[in-house]
Amino acid sequence: MATSFKQIEENLKTEAGKLLDAGKVSMVLAYGRGYDEKHPLPYVARSLADVDGMVFNEYCTANLARYLVRYPRGTKIGIAAKAADSRAVIQLIQEDKVKRDDLVILGIPVYGMKNAKTDEAIDAKTTCGLYNPVIYDVLLGEEVHGQPVLSPYEVLEKVEAMGQDERFAFWKKELDRCIRCYACRKACPMCYCDPCFIDQNKPKWGEKSPETGGNLMYHLTRFHHLAGRCIDCGECSRACPVDIPLYLFHKKVAKECEEMFGQAAGMSIDEKPALINFRVEDSDKILE
Amino acid sequence: MSRIGVFVCHCGLNIAKTVRVSELAQFAATLPDVVVAKDYKFMCSTPGQEMIANDIKEHRLDRVIVTACSPLMHEQTFRKVLSASGLNQYLLTIVNIREQVSWVTHDIDEGTAKSKALLNGAVNRARLLAPLTSRVIDVNPDVMVVGGGIAGIQAALELANTGRKVYLVEKNSTIGGHMAQFDKTFPTLDCSACILTPKMDSVMQNKNITLMTSCEVSEVKGYVGNFDITVKQKARYVDHDKCNACLACTEKCPGKGVSEWDEGLVKRKAIYIPFPQAVPQKPIIDRDACTYFIKGKCRLCEKVCEQKAIDFEQQDTFSTMKVGAVIVATGYDLMDTKPLVQYGYGKYPGVYNALEVERLFNSAGPTGGKVTMRDGKEPQAIAILHCIGSRDKNNYEHCSRVCCMYSLKFAHLFKEKTSADVYQFYIDMRAAGKGYEEFYNRIIEEDVKFIRGKGARVAESADEPGRLIVEAEDTITGKFIKLPVDMVVLSPAMKPRADSKDLARLFNLSTDKYGFFMERHPKLAPLSTMSEGIFIAGVCQSPKDIPDTVAQANGAAAEALTIVVKDKMELEATTAMVNPASCCGCQNCVRVCPYGAPFFKEDKGVSEINEALCKGCGLCASVCPSSAIIARHFTNEQVLAEMEGLMEF
Repeated sequence: MATSFKQIEENLKTEAGKLLDAGKVSMVLAYGRGYDEKHPLPYVARSLADVDGMVFNEYCTANLARYLVRYPRGTKIGIAAKAADSRAVIQLIQEDKVKRDDLVILGIPVYGMKNAKTDEAIDAKTTCGLYNPVIYDVLLGEEVHGQPVLSPYEVLEKVEAMGQDERFAFWKKELDRCIRCYACRKACPMCYCDPCFIDQNKPKWGEKSPETGGNLMYHLTRFHHLAGRCIDCGECSRACPVDIPLYLFHKKVAKECEEMFGQAAGMSIDEKPALINFRVEDSDKILE
Repeated sequence: MSRIGVFVCHCGLNIAKTVRVSELAQFAATLPDVVVAKDYKFMCSTPGQEMIANDIKEHRLDRVIVTACSPLMHEQTFRKVLSASGLNQYLLTIVNIREQVSWVTHDIDEGTAKSKALLNGAVNRARLLAPLTSRVIDVNPDVMVVGGGIAGIQAALELANTGRKVYLVEKNSTIGGHMAQFDKTFPTLDCSACILTPKMDSVMQNKNITLMTSCEVSEVKGYVGNFDITVKQKARYVDHDKCNACLACTEKCPGKGVSEWDEGLVKRKAIYIPFPQAVPQKPIIDRDACTYFIKGKCRLCEKVCEQKAIDFEQQDTFSTMKVGAVIVATGYDLMDTKPLVQYGYGKYPGVYNALEVERLFNSAGPTGGKVTMRDGKEPQAIAILHCIGSRDKNNYEHCSRVCCMYSLKFAHLFKEKTSADVYQFYIDMRAAGKGYEEFYNRIIEEDVKFIRGKGARVAESADEPGRLIVEAEDTITGKFIKLPVDMVVLSPAMKPRADSKDLARLFNLSTDKYGFFMERHPKLAPLSTMSEGIFIAGVCQSPKDIPDTVAQANGAAAEALTIVVKDKMELEATTAMVNPASCCGCQNCVRVCPYGAPFFKEDKGVSEINEALCKGCGLCASVCPSSAIIARHFTNEQVLAEMEGLMEF
């Protein structure tokens, strides 16, 4: 039996309070009230008094690892992390953007998260499909067991069955709808480049207004930059105001990467990012 | 506005036969900013170079494009022309229309079209080129030689005699390599030990040579002139500084290990020196055979050692050497003939491989130089089978080059030491070398039987138990023969060391499909590699005999000397730099750089590049997600402009 959302919220407040009170962290990244229950906001508690503002419910989907890179290196941070979020934390540790010792990870085992826009359950179709955090210091509930464990790549069947031309037409059509609001980039914990390549003018890598060429340049390069790094939280797709299924492309790249290098992003802090780490036993398939 | 000159080379007919060179020059003249475009038969010749120099003056050129062969061939030639004419040498662009165009097509239309596209891109890029200044660096005068066989020994001695400091790294506990295992050497039949051991001793005595046995290279950093090489000293469990080589320990040791030295034909002690003339003549402990390491009790060697040199707690240690150049001379292994089940090696005790037979002949070998087989008997008939695994498409396509000659040597020694009949089963006799054909003729005179036909199978004799039957087709008579013998000698293929590909990765060498190291040019740079400052000698490059190996070792020593003899050397100006304003601190550059040039500045959260270490390979620039890294001479703008030019076609 999974711990209730209410109980997790209570546990979160208690543990965050303890950390702040003891001075172990200077802030706790969690969720706070938004304009309604369906739209909770990322929330930073810096003192014991702030803890009461925390909430946790089935709409708290945002990946808070996104905010870790905002603070100066060495800042002691507590972070509430669900399954995929914890993978993002691991990936950031692998990339040396944050240090394990600077973090207290409040792991949230959870089942039954919902997409605020559609009220549909969030599962392995749009995320990595894990229920329990991969890494944590404190677990804010009982581990979820007994729920169906689905392959995160099953959803790819349809796209993989397409021929090359059909697939290109599919993505061209999807990416043509992009309005270049960059919400995907903002939501992504691994998109921490400042400036992003697409914002640069010298050289100008792609058109900045929404049109086919620039859209393809932006998205394809972003997919490429996230190869072996995307931890499949699905936040980019939920953030997208025009519902482009970005997760499909990310999943495909992640699948290829996992098959080639036997390593999924953000699963162990002892691993190195697959694409910039050379091992003798690496597959040569990438050269074919 | 640039003033670009384009010079199209015919390279005789090398280029002109598949590229319409004058059409290419006319096309170049139509491109914006190109003020002069010419074609000429041999641009690298003196008149060709003078033509470029004159046009630079006459047309006040500020960019020069030479459309010719690979920049590896003549970039330096044309850079000198620019420098001599007062232009910065980095304002030269080479368009390779030979290796990349004319040599890879038979279609003149295709060739001309691709050349135009490449040239169009080059003109686009040339406009954006900036003058750069080459860096001058200090050169470390020392040299490392990896491998202590005859090649390594020879190279180390030559270099040491010029006054250079040499680190000689050997993975075994003694130097000497395969040559020290041999009894006699062809074609002169002089004793191998007699000519090798004085050299081994000279290595020991030479003050300029630091001998590092039981050592392996574990990491290579830096570049030509300034390598930082980390060497692992494997634990010997004997402190060689204290040991006085009395060898009392080796007498008392109850442990039994397999003698690698005698090709596994006999046992040796667990604490041992491989052979009496080993250098250094100090023992090591074989952990896998030592009673103390296996059972936790014994330590007899420790008790008898007056010098207190035994140290069971010894660990592997690492040290880093700074050298200016490296010679890799790691030699070979013999192919394992067990998988070739038709020859029965490992199954029938009467089947030997060549190195085992070398040990049988050797007076310091397991039989004291007598030819007796594993059952203690002297053979009455012996078959020597050539080309086992060599010249064989299923195994190694190459000829191992030495087997014909050492098989003749074996025949002679068998005749000398036994009364056996000796049969040679060969495909072709290859005796190309000074005195080799004469040696072959001499052996023919010695009543050795030559059967032209590759040994096909070795089986047990049904009639005479313990004897072997060699089956083959005699291709001269066309008859199949079944020859009963007592002993079969296999001459297996020479192959690269099992770890040659690991070593290739450490030193950034390329290998052929079997793992032999590739030379920079098969004819004109046979000892250089694509990694500057790293040279190769001996069988690690391809099978060869001792005279060729020694010649290569001397050559490699001279090549290494050309680098370390200078105090300073000029390095390419094409380095990379980080624009800190765009750096996102992902440290991809730090992780991918093979030279360790980028480093992360914790306080600022950005990477920086140590330009003294940068080789300008551009890896960092290509993995930088926020394009914060600028690779000089290949900036993003330059590369994009070139690509746009290419894609206009």
